[in-house]
Amino acid sequence: MEVSWLYLIPLLPLAGAAVNGLLGRWLPKAWLYAVALLVVLLPFCIGVFAWWQVAHIEGETAQVRQLVYTWFSVGSLRVDLGLTFDRLSGTLVLVVTGVGFLIHLYSVGYMDEDPGYWRYFAYLNLFVSMMLLLVLSDNLVAMFVGWEGVGLCSYLLIGFWYDDDAKAYAGRKAFIVNRIGDFGFLIGIFVLYLYTGQVSFQALKVAPLSLGVASAAAALLFVGATGKSAQLPLYVWLPDAMAGPTPVSALIHAATMVTAGVYMVARLSFLYVQAPGVMAVVAVIGVLTALIGAVIGTSQTDIKRVLAYSTVSQLGYMFVGVGVGAFAAGTAHLITHAFFKACLFLGSGAVIHGLKGEQDMARMGGLRRLGLKHTAATFFIATVAITGVLPISGFFSKDEILAQALNTRAFDFLTLLPDPGSPRLAFLGPAIYAIGTVTALITSFYMWRCYLLTFEGEYRGPPEVHPHEAPWVMTLPLWVLAALSVVGALIVLPSRQLPFTWEHFTEGVFARPRGGAPLERLPELVAFGIALVVAWAGFAAAWSLYAPGRGLQGDERIARATPRLRRALASALYVDALYDRILVKPLWATARGLWRAADAMIIDGLLVNGSAQLVAAVGSALRRFQNGDVQRYAAVTAVGVLILVYVFLVRG
Amino acid sequence: MVGPLHYLFLGAVLFALGGVGVVVRRNALIVLMSIELMLNAVNLTFLTFSRFPLVKSAPTQAGFLSGHTAVFFVIAVAAAEAAVGLAIVIAVFRSRSSVNVDEFDTLKF
Repeated sequence: MEVSWLYLIPLLPLAGAAVNGLLGRWLPKAWLYAVALLVVLLPFCIGVFAWWQVAHIEGETAQVRQLVYTWFSVGSLRVDLGLTFDRLSGTLVLVVTGVGFLIHLYSVGYMDEDPGYWRYFAYLNLFVSMMLLLVLSDNLVAMFVGWEGVGLCSYLLIGFWYDDDAKAYAGRKAFIVNRIGDFGFLIGIFVLYLYTGQVSFQALKVAPLSLGVASAAAALLFVGATGKSAQLPLYVWLPDAMAGPTPVSALIHAATMVTAGVYMVARLSFLYVQAPGVMAVVAVIGVLTALIGAVIGTSQTDIKRVLAYSTVSQLGYMFVGVGVGAFAAGTAHLITHAFFKACLFLGSGAVIHGLKGEQDMARMGGLRRLGLKHTAATFFIATVAITGVLPISGFFSKDEILAQALNTRAFDFLTLLPDPGSPRLAFLGPAIYAIGTVTALITSFYMWRCYLLTFEGEYRGPPEVHPHEAPWVMTLPLWVLAALSVVGALIVLPSRQLPFTWEHFTEGVFARPRGGAPLERLPELVAFGIALVVAWAGFAAAWSLYAPGRGLQGDERIARATPRLRRALASALYVDALYDRILVKPLWATARGLWRAADAMIIDGLLVNGSAQLVAAVGSALRRFQNGDVQRYAAVTAVGVLILVYVFLVRG
Repeated sequence: MVGPLHYLFLGAVLFALGGVGVVVRRNALIVLMSIELMLNAVNLTFLTFSRFPLVKSAPTQAGFLSGHTAVFFVIAVAAAEAAVGLAIVIAVFRSRSSVNVDEFDTLKF
């Protein structure tokens, strides 16, 4: 259905960003807050309206579209700024604007005392606009604009407190690591255009692609996803991204932007099912990232870094989902994760706010009884959701991914090597399930550790800091997100018969993976039982080490038992040091060499200064003739005339 | 018998003396006088060729009148030049208290 008002959804936050960014310094604070909140709330309302319409259209064409204008048209390439609001992108619009609105509201409390609040809200509005463009665009090029736009906002907001060198560096790191991924994304678009001449999703869907082209394009686009969504090997920027204000971590680095990669793979499901080998890579990278993120998360003491590694890990789960062809399960986890991880991040923000900037869990503890009861309660609910000790949203969405991985037959016909006799990859699904289940155990452990160290036991911070609860603008979003973490379970209930489940709702949006209908390797109830046991085992392990009253003894015991492992985990498995040694340092050395040889010597020395010196030398030689003595000029002229006379009259 | 060569030789000598005077003398007034000398050497040459034309078919008994005309022009222009030149020398003398051309080198780079 063609409509004419869809453009308002990304345009309103953009206008808000313009108003706040250009005039914000002079606007009264209340007005600025009103603008910043309204330009996110209004798109949410429009989104609800559009979503309601889309939900009532049946079949594959369940979408609201608008061709805003033709961006450019060169030769056979035509790129439209087209927006498509279907059941997938529409729901994500609601998540982005809904969660985004709550986080804007929370930011009003969190950033109120910061002198750069107007800059902050301008960036945040711009981010929402770019994210909505990314989600809604109906072609790869416009999507790339949004993709880069959210990257820019991420950079601006990570380095928001730019007078702190470490934070500015973290912003640059995020931007540069994402550049690597975006390069892959761009080449992927080029490959698709080169072989099909198309960039819009609708046209690509029906374009015939050979296995090689589909695989190359899918793999290159996935490189972009590993950058944006912090997967191996490009996840290193996300933990450092916690240098930004905490609401930013919640909105950009947990709920929305980092899930863009998952969304992109799901949006291009028709492409990925044509490249089963790449899907296997996606799933394997996803599960390994999930495992590594969770393992590192167990030993971090900065509350935001725990949540950052948790986000890396959960994004890994989402990629497992889309990698095994369970696009609905992957995107469902995206949605539930947006709820509970935003809640966790905002909760950590409330803690940091209440402790005057303290982020180290070693100096927290007992905050539940020290007045932060709303924060503690909502953090508890979100922790339950992510760990899955009780069957609410996170339990079902994660379990669905693992079950699909276990039962998938998408890899049955793949072989390890091109030679048909080499071993088949049918074992991949169950292997991913096993690793994912272990990861779930670790997830439960580190999240309960985080909760227990922060909110239970005795307060370990300096006595002059008096923890206090956040104002209502901050606790209200916490409660709404906690409630969503609970009722979010409704859309991910496992029963296929329920009409409102996500899988049912998005039927027709996603392509079906090859390899036939999934098996049932484990009965559903057994899988649930395993998931519950694993979650409780993680909780038990955390309780045995970090039970209230034990304080930091748990960490000390682990440090004594396995000092090397503990040190390695606390420094994030030395990945940053490794990258520093094999990539950053050589690049610096190369850049320094090129600067000295090419720039300083050849360009500056030879070309720029050299040409200037040559002209100056010729000039200083010639200036001797220009001595200002008119008689000398006359004499020279006379001699010249004599020579001419001699040449023409005497010799000629 | 005094022929055209005598006149031409005298003109050349006067022109050379004037040229050397322009180049070597340091007093601006002398330089101006040397220029006058050169101009008059040219006048003498003009008149010589007017009186002793190189072609046989001269229009009048006295030869070509165009030589005389040119000389009148030169005298008029020389008068104007002397007026302007002396005015410049006086102006320069007022500002520099000197008529030595060696000191007038502000054209130098």
